[in-house]
Amino acid sequence: MEEKINREKYKTLGYNVLTLFLFLAIWTLAYWLIKSPFFPSPLMVFNAFLELLIHGDIEDVKLGMHIQQSLWRIFGGFAAACILGIPLGLLMGLYGRVYDSTKVLIEPIRFIPPVAWIPLVIVLLVGYFRFVFIIWLGAFFPIFIGTLLSVRGVNPLHIEVPKSFGASRFYIIRNIVLPSVLPEVLTSMRVGLGIAWECIMAAEMIGGERVGIGIMILKYAQLIRMDAIIVGIIVIGIIGFGLNEIFIFVEKRIFRWKEVVSI
Amino acid sequence: MEKELIDVDLSMKFDSLSVLENIRFKVHENEFLVIVGPSGCGKTTMARLLAGLQKPTSGHVTMRGESISPKVHNISIVFQEPSCIPWRTLWDDITMGLVIKGVDQSAIKKRAEEVIKLVGLDGFEEYFPKQLSGGMKQRVAIARAYATNPDLLLMDEPFGHLDAQTRYLMQIEIMRIWEKEKKTVVFITNNIEEAVYLATRIIVFSKLPARIKAEYRIELPRPRKLTTPEFLGVRSEVTEQCEVVER
Repeated sequence: MEEKINREKYKTLGYNVLTLFLFLAIWTLAYWLIKSPFFPSPLMVFNAFLELLIHGDIEDVKLGMHIQQSLWRIFGGFAAACILGIPLGLLMGLYGRVYDSTKVLIEPIRFIPPVAWIPLVIVLLVGYFRFVFIIWLGAFFPIFIGTLLSVRGVNPLHIEVPKSFGASRFYIIRNIVLPSVLPEVLTSMRVGLGIAWECIMAAEMIGGERVGIGIMILKYAQLIRMDAIIVGIIVIGIIGFGLNEIFIFVEKRIFRWKEVVSI
Repeated sequence: MEKELIDVDLSMKFDSLSVLENIRFKVHENEFLVIVGPSGCGKTTMARLLAGLQKPTSGHVTMRGESISPKVHNISIVFQEPSCIPWRTLWDDITMGLVIKGVDQSAIKKRAEEVIKLVGLDGFEEYFPKQLSGGMKQRVAIARAYATNPDLLLMDEPFGHLDAQTRYLMQIEIMRIWEKEKKTVVFITNNIEEAVYLATRIIVFSKLPARIKAEYRIELPRPRKLTTPEFLGVRSEVTEQCEVVER
């Protein structure tokens, strides 16, 4: 059984490596066919990557520094979104009346894209908080709404079991509601993180700072240096992918009861 | 002399839909009372009212003279739908009621081991519901309900989702458990054979809005055989009262 699962894993890995090679091959082929100064080859992008990594960009800021700054901003905005979104989602899920009475405010705000807030944010906030606010706006609603809906989706029977034994409200929230919504909360956090990652570009382009992946891309966009721009884009993708994998790994660890094989 | 445990005298409406009308009966200590009726006749509502999970629109359910409530009385219920908590191991699920009722650790351990053995699930303590078969899951629910030594054990079509064979085995098992630990049981079903096999007394509900149509005291000797003429006689008598014919 174990061996079979392992073999499946290697197979999947192999196909992914193959996909990557195919992609690079097609890219190289396209490079040969197009022959444009604005269309770099994979090798050129790799060289730009090394240059950015070792020597830094036109302002001598190294790629690692850009990544670190962007991650730090994402972390701030995402943490704020979780800290506010999860408890608020739980509260409004448990007390439907709170949500119903504040719907008039919550629902319209939900549909304002984070980018629309940018002019306001430029005027009102400075430095780190500009980024945090925009990322927070993007990540908050998926986390908040996801948590709220998951609370409403708790199986009523699972609540009635302890209730029939005379359990307190506190016991039911702690032992039934929380463990029951946790998987969905983590999923909505994963969605929120994806959106946070999307927002970082927009946020960094207004930030007026010198460091950050988004800013790095912008700098090279002005120079029309496609190779460096693509490095930035790929870095964003890979880090997002990495963060997502970490989430999935944690989920699998916590929710053993979901993973177990039935007999 | 039979001691009265529960007194029911109620009507129940959902908005304008009348579900139970003038339902009046008593439950005596140590009896195995079976309520039968066609599906969708409000039997589950009756179970929830007896569990104190719902209040009747009018009338009352009392236990030893006090309005029934899970916070006051020691009641357990086995639901029709699978009710194991997916993220709890069998052990944690079965001890839930004991923990809620504040029983101390050593007593919880002792009682849990007892009931797990009673339902024949020893060795599966660390299993999650997903790893168990349908019949095993329902046994977990039964063990969980039994663990707290309830004064009233409610069973709302507990075997409804099981295949015929498992169902039959569970009936034998529940009888064995009942004879061993004489509990007051109210068992709800739409299966007349099951009712006659288990009951000391049967109450027949009519179609919606449910009224009590008939009542039988079943005095067949135990263990009952499903095929003896006496059994079949009682069974057809009860069947005639039940509106089992689909229209």
